[in-house]
Amino acid sequence: MTDLAQPERRFREVARGALERQGTQAALAAATGRLREARLSAWADLPDAEALREQAHEVRMRAIDDLDRYLDEFEHAAVAAGATVHRAATAAEARELVVGICRDAGAQLVAKSKSMATEEIALNDGLEQAGIRAVETDLGEYILQLAGEHPVHIIAPAIEKTASQVAELLRGVDGIDVRPELEDLTATARRQLRQVFLDADVGVTGVNFGIAETGSICLVTNEGNGRLVSSLPRVHVALMGIERVVPRLEDLPVLLKLLARSGTGQRLTTYTTLITGPRRPGETDGPEQLHIVLLDNGRSGLRRGRYREMLACIRCGACLNVCPVYRRAGGGAYGPVYSGPMGAVLAPLLVGLERAPALPHASSLCGACTDSCPVKIPLHELLLDLRRDLVSEGVASRAERLGFWLWSWAWSSPRGYRASTGLARLGQRFGRLAGPGRAWSAGRELPRLAPRRFRDRR
Amino acid sequence: MSIPSRVQLFATCLGDLICPDAVADAETLLRDSGFDVEFPGGQVCCGQPAFNAGHHGAARRVARTFAASFSRAAPVVVPSGSCATMLTRYLPELLGCEPFDVWELSAFLDRHDARVAASNAGRTLAYHDSCHLLRELGVSEQPRRLLERSGATLRPLERPDLCCGFGGTFSVRQPEVSVAMADDKLASAGDAEALVTADPGCLLQLRGRRERRGEGPRVVHLATALARGVA
Repeated sequence: MTDLAQPERRFREVARGALERQGTQAALAAATGRLREARLSAWADLPDAEALREQAHEVRMRAIDDLDRYLDEFEHAAVAAGATVHRAATAAEARELVVGICRDAGAQLVAKSKSMATEEIALNDGLEQAGIRAVETDLGEYILQLAGEHPVHIIAPAIEKTASQVAELLRGVDGIDVRPELEDLTATARRQLRQVFLDADVGVTGVNFGIAETGSICLVTNEGNGRLVSSLPRVHVALMGIERVVPRLEDLPVLLKLLARSGTGQRLTTYTTLITGPRRPGETDGPEQLHIVLLDNGRSGLRRGRYREMLACIRCGACLNVCPVYRRAGGGAYGPVYSGPMGAVLAPLLVGLERAPALPHASSLCGACTDSCPVKIPLHELLLDLRRDLVSEGVASRAERLGFWLWSWAWSSPRGYRASTGLARLGQRFGRLAGPGRAWSAGRELPRLAPRRFRDRR
Repeated sequence: MSIPSRVQLFATCLGDLICPDAVADAETLLRDSGFDVEFPGGQVCCGQPAFNAGHHGAARRVARTFAASFSRAAPVVVPSGSCATMLTRYLPELLGCEPFDVWELSAFLDRHDARVAASNAGRTLAYHDSCHLLRELGVSEQPRRLLERSGATLRPLERPDLCCGFGGTFSVRQPEVSVAMADDKLASAGDAEALVTADPGCLLQLRGRRERRGEGPRVVHLATALARGVA
């Protein structure tokens, strides 16, 4: 079962594993570098990028500041258009709801389009337990499902896989050899998935944005699988985080513009789909039923406080691609769902700091994430605030608190500073034996205290 | 614009304890440019190590030493981008006090058209942006301009945006990732004679890694590079 919770030591253990795999390191550096370059060049031709960021921020915060109202408006309009709207307070509730809809539809096969929200509620596990087969149809997600792994990047889920690994996984499906070339790989996946689209009883997608004014859901994809999944099966289930609502249709363009540019460096993604209700009488395609499941799972608790800006996130992945820590540690270290700076902020907020205590510290606070964010979320400052909460909520270890207390007691006066640093000089050759000195000196020489402090030279 | 003749030098804890030569070089640069340099004796540390780790109480206790020793009547010059960030962006709120007139060394020297000797004539150097100096204070052109005025040719780093991996307690909480980030930075300096940085934190990290590996460019503080050249 996927879980956003991450025990203290896990980040370091998983990162260490990623650092040892040369293929993973090469794939991470190449893919994040490529996505970053693409984003920079796509942004470069915007006449006033900064104004657009401000505008996008304003749209998102307007929705979040009045979330209850816009959600009600959204629900009302969606129901009027013929959709059924469900509300789920927790991941477990959402999972049961979706499984229940599939069961009611008599589903044996569910086709899924890429959705981080379905990862968040561990939907595939729930469906499997109910005896329903779920198949991921996004290429990256499909590859990971074949490998039995979780996404390591929110928009490029299989970013750490090499072409030959992918070829091997695809060959495992039907025993037919495939060359490790991009075109052959996608052609093979397409062939293997075609019947899934045709046979699926239910299609499950996420939602990029829900428009309150019209009750429409907006899906943004590049492979076209989202459109197949939402139109071919009899039933379409769309899982939407409650924060994804935008007030009006006219608010959408700026978000679409920035989402595509920030995620993949495209001006627009290949497919931008707006769905308003299921198939209407007289129409020839579309599902008979559209179910929209609104997922809270800790989000509504964030609306009022310091962390409300995190709800503005549009899941573009830009912060992952610029993050020097993500680039080396890889996505798995952050947990099975959200990764990179956005994951380091969001996961502890959704599951509680005590259940993900390492994530706020899994950053050098370089600020590249904040600079890259198209909706201007101050990610590294939120990490700083989460660190403060770790201390004030008593999650930080006693040893760490005692250490900083002793240090601050000594350094609260010049005399204490002189005395403590004098003592430290006497003891510095033992620094590498334990604690932080040991962690430092595993890969670096410990700095030596100068024979005379600057202040002593004057 | 009236030129302030008096400045207060904040050595920072790392400067005072680990690289006092760089602080002395900063003082030399300021004096050579005609400033009276004061060194307030009660100074200790800005509190950043605790602040960035979330320990605001501890940070406050230490940061008070700064507020008690420095005056708002003259600019405070700091040979460290991250300490300058702490002092300008966070300390006033942490202590509930009025801000100080804080300048990072290269921003101050550049602003006052400091005299820079041709100490690096004919050398090829690489400059590493410390993250806080670059992103929080927006200082990137100034140190480069000063290095060029010292005669150096600057070799651009492949990815100047990447952090060196120090990040305070990050360096010991995630030592493997931190070291890998240092390797990336050292490798990106290519054939430059030295990698110059304006932050003692980056200096510690990159120098520590270089010494362990026994290869890579020498890592030099900006103040030293400007005052005496990288040799």
